[in-house]
Amino acid sequence: MSTPITLAAMGLIVTELSGVTNIGVEGIMLTTAFISVAVSYFTGSWVAGLTAAIIAGIILALIIALLHLKFQANIFVAGIAINLFAIAFTRFLLVNIFETSGSFYSPEIVPIPELEIPIIANIPLLNKLFSGYLLTDYLSIILVFVFFILIYKTTWGLRIRFVGNRPEAVEAAGINVTVKKYQTLVVSGIMGGIAGAHLSLGYTTQFIENMTNGRGFIAVAAMFFGGITPIKTWFASLFFGFTEALGNNLQSSLGLPSQFMLMIPYLATVIAITIGTIRYRRKKDSDSEDIFK
Amino acid sequence: MNFLYKYQTTINVLIAIAAAFIIGTIVIIFLGYSPAVAYTEMIKGAFSGKFNFGGTLERFVPLLLSGLAFIIAAKVSFFNIGVEGQLYFGGITAAFLGVYITGLPAVLHIPIVLMGAAIAGGVWALIPGYLNAKFNVNEVCLTIMLNYVAIQFTSYIVNHPFKNPNVGIPQTPNLQDSAMLPKIIFPSRANIGLFIALAVLIFFIWLFSKTTVGYKIKSVGNNPFFSQYIGIKSKIIVVMTVIMSGMVGGLIGGIQITGIHGYFIDQFSPGYGFDGIMIGFLSRNNLKALPFVAFFIAVLRSGSIGMERFTGIPKEVIGIIEALIILFAAAKVIIDIKKSSVTAQNSSDEEVMEVG
Repeated sequence: MSTPITLAAMGLIVTELSGVTNIGVEGIMLTTAFISVAVSYFTGSWVAGLTAAIIAGIILALIIALLHLKFQANIFVAGIAINLFAIAFTRFLLVNIFETSGSFYSPEIVPIPELEIPIIANIPLLNKLFSGYLLTDYLSIILVFVFFILIYKTTWGLRIRFVGNRPEAVEAAGINVTVKKYQTLVVSGIMGGIAGAHLSLGYTTQFIENMTNGRGFIAVAAMFFGGITPIKTWFASLFFGFTEALGNNLQSSLGLPSQFMLMIPYLATVIAITIGTIRYRRKKDSDSEDIFK
Repeated sequence: MNFLYKYQTTINVLIAIAAAFIIGTIVIIFLGYSPAVAYTEMIKGAFSGKFNFGGTLERFVPLLLSGLAFIIAAKVSFFNIGVEGQLYFGGITAAFLGVYITGLPAVLHIPIVLMGAAIAGGVWALIPGYLNAKFNVNEVCLTIMLNYVAIQFTSYIVNHPFKNPNVGIPQTPNLQDSAMLPKIIFPSRANIGLFIALAVLIFFIWLFSKTTVGYKIKSVGNNPFFSQYIGIKSKIIVVMTVIMSGMVGGLIGGIQITGIHGYFIDQFSPGYGFDGIMIGFLSRNNLKALPFVAFFIAVLRSGSIGMERFTGIPKEVIGIIEALIILFAAAKVIIDIKKSSVTAQNSSDEEVMEVG
């Protein structure tokens, strides 16, 4: 449930650290969700679908980068433009390629495989908890740690953090700030692509119009709530995924009206992003040396 | 060359539109249709006959108001993506006031209903406005989340406490006749909401250009710190402006409910709030350009139906053209036209959109 949010949020962390708030990730996820379904349908391979999604994600991220860095569009404007474009574009392709509207489903869409972890799969309780998830679910957890290492233990990560915090210093050291921002956006494009593929090729293999439904923005909120660090953001994403699942399940069991349950993730996001922003601003104001840890 | 420089912003927008149409034409040809026929049918679909022209006007009203709401908030650098949620609250309030208040003549009932809708929208906008002004929380995220909350909340209302028991689908009981906006061009659904919307637009043009309040708002939008320094309470101005933006948003819901539908139906908005963002962009936050842009988009949409009916071209092609317009228009400076004189400045920042 929380995997798309986690994946997208990791990419967002990297761009945010370089000073770019990429809200266009919502549009990237939607478009790549469609493309992965289409490619999987026509080629019969989820690998092709996932790859195509990643490539599409990179292309879209580059468009955002171009708009923001070359044409000096405001980053929020560019992001919203991509989001609106994604909705129109996916609807257009849905109608024109698959000649249907609303949603597209076919048994010929090949999903991302579930993985059984060898030893745990045989233990009755544990196997339900830890095994049998999708490849991309496991991948997302691995990626959280990859990003942690990437951001805090590599030179690239150090430079990215400086770009957001002290771009003048970075330029003085001879590193091109703009190039770095392009790179972070490409990363967020890749992550958005994986997230989109997971959405549409995952537990349900179909494309529904506007199926991202705000998850990209929830990812932004998760990033803020997690203080723009991978591990805490991951927990935030898990929390949001939990509230979404809660909403889905409580709908059927308790007699409570479904709409309130569905509201929970969004309300949680509002509260989370408020708290997260207050904490982040305080931290940023009080110590600029946090990047030296 | 100086002429080109002065109208640089307009030229950029026109280039964006032209580029989008070029690509749209390519798509039409690629799909195997004739662009000439396509565009002719589109113009006919938007203008010829009372029903078509009325349809264009009918679409014009929410587009105009939505763009207006967005631009008002943009004057203080606040991205109000929450118009969608604000109009939902406005709509449900309008329905409530329209159904349960009885015995009033239309002259009184309609203003009460619409004011109620506007206030509801304003209240809903207060939340993100305050959080953004006070704590600098990202308003884009906030408003989007609150949209979903608003849609779900009103959906609950119309599905349970306020549901019309005689009808299978989730909608409220019909509004009293006295609350309904009279229609103008029959047999379309165009109504006097058109005049209300235009009046509101003129009000805001006046507000921003001729009043002290308007000056303060623009000052805060340009430089909140300096405004604070010279004694303007920036944060309060921001919140107030966002509330005004929300009120216009709520008004959209009110007009749609009382003018078009006659009841509040679950999830009635096809995305008016988001259309306003696009229209706000294209107008470059210029209130005088706004009605033209809104009308242009209304023509596109209204025409696309006629185009589809007579040529078979799917109306999603117009959606693509719109999306491309947004993409191209998002580029702040597509062509940087420089002044030819020696004292050339690098960019005409007064004309270009004043957003963050």
